[in-house]
Amino acid sequence: MNGRWRTWLLIGLGAAVVVAAIYFPYLRRRVKTAAKIQQPTEEQARRELTSPSPASASDPVVKARMFWASGEDQTRLASINVELALSPDPVLRSKQVLNTLLAGPVDSELRTLPPDAALLAFYLLPDGTGIADFSEALGTSTPSGIQSEQLAVDSIARTLEANVPQVKRLKILIHGQEMETLAGHLDLTQMFVVNTKAVQPTSLSPAAPVKPRSNTAPVAASAPAGNSPPRPRQR
Amino acid sequence: MVVLDPAHGGTDPGARGAQGIRESDLVLDLTFQVRRALEAQGFQVTQTRSGNENPSFDDRSAMANAQRGAVFVTLHISSTGLPGTARVYVLADMPGAVTTGGMLSWDFAQAPYVILSRKFGDAVQGQLAQRFKGSPNSVQIANVRQLRTTAAPAIAVELSSVSVQDRGELDKMMPGVADAIARGLAAFRPSYVVAGEAGARP
Repeated sequence: MNGRWRTWLLIGLGAAVVVAAIYFPYLRRRVKTAAKIQQPTEEQARRELTSPSPASASDPVVKARMFWASGEDQTRLASINVELALSPDPVLRSKQVLNTLLAGPVDSELRTLPPDAALLAFYLLPDGTGIADFSEALGTSTPSGIQSEQLAVDSIARTLEANVPQVKRLKILIHGQEMETLAGHLDLTQMFVVNTKAVQPTSLSPAAPVKPRSNTAPVAASAPAGNSPPRPRQR
Repeated sequence: MVVLDPAHGGTDPGARGAQGIRESDLVLDLTFQVRRALEAQGFQVTQTRSGNENPSFDDRSAMANAQRGAVFVTLHISSTGLPGTARVYVLADMPGAVTTGGMLSWDFAQAPYVILSRKFGDAVQGQLAQRFKGSPNSVQIANVRQLRTTAAPAIAVELSSVSVQDRGELDKMMPGVADAIARGLAAFRPSYVVAGEAGARP
């Protein structure tokens, strides 16, 4: 190899080193960004899997009534009208309103459900029983106490009652499991009445009937033995 | 017999405040004060726990269910709510509860006592409303797990809240709460006649 070719080779190698030195930090940043994208947190992954059911173009925009805590008295619920594209399908519609409820109102102080909780699934049985399966955060992040736990369940039940008339009763699961309580106080082993007009007492009348003061009076499970359970409907 | 139930305990601290306040500790102190107030009125009293234990919901209910003519009071401190107020909760009707051969299911043991629980709750809530401004005048409905399996007039009393800056604020409430429960129970006592158990008295 003569000296002229050696010079050109050295110039070429030097240029390659300079280009590599400039490009390397950029490449490093890209790799780091890609690594972050490829490794979402467990909560992010769950939220992606359980993202709100998207409204289709044909879903009409309606005024949905959402029940969050009242600004005047945070121990009570107040209804707020929100314009939402809601599916006519009761399961999709239930998911849409519950995800909106979970997203919370503009004033985060008026939330009734913890911000890190997610709706994992919603089923509707032919008899009008809705089964809402929430992530563990509903149990672990709801403030412990009779008042706060009842407010959380009331907000779910009343939002369903106002927007999805097909749901008559509600069963709440945490990560697919029946839990004894929500956060140490409120009974989750029973079903909650959502549509008080649609649910009639079945048997036993304790002393004298009294009108419940809460929308979410528990309903004792009373499926007759030998009947096969109805098949749930899920989208 | 009055069965007092300091909620939580053991590994379950219940509601926790920013200042290290634990519901399980506070309700135990409250229970001792309520006990003294009730005994001063002539009631017999027992407790579901006297230390840092955590009996199951069923074990706590069993203490009342084993007594004839008992009443049950479970004591709580909330995480939220207007500080300095107190609320009494009872179960709603249990229309789907099923009897089998005249025997009531353990899971719905509260069903025949719902009306009595409401009377007892209203009596106590009325006393609390007089002492703690901002408290409701009548009993509230909530699906409290502990009450469902209790075969006796049963109420849950919840004070607000562990969010106070100083535990002393809750300590100051305790004598008034104890007195309200004792007076409420004394007012309720004449109406406590369970069908088939004539003369049953707490």
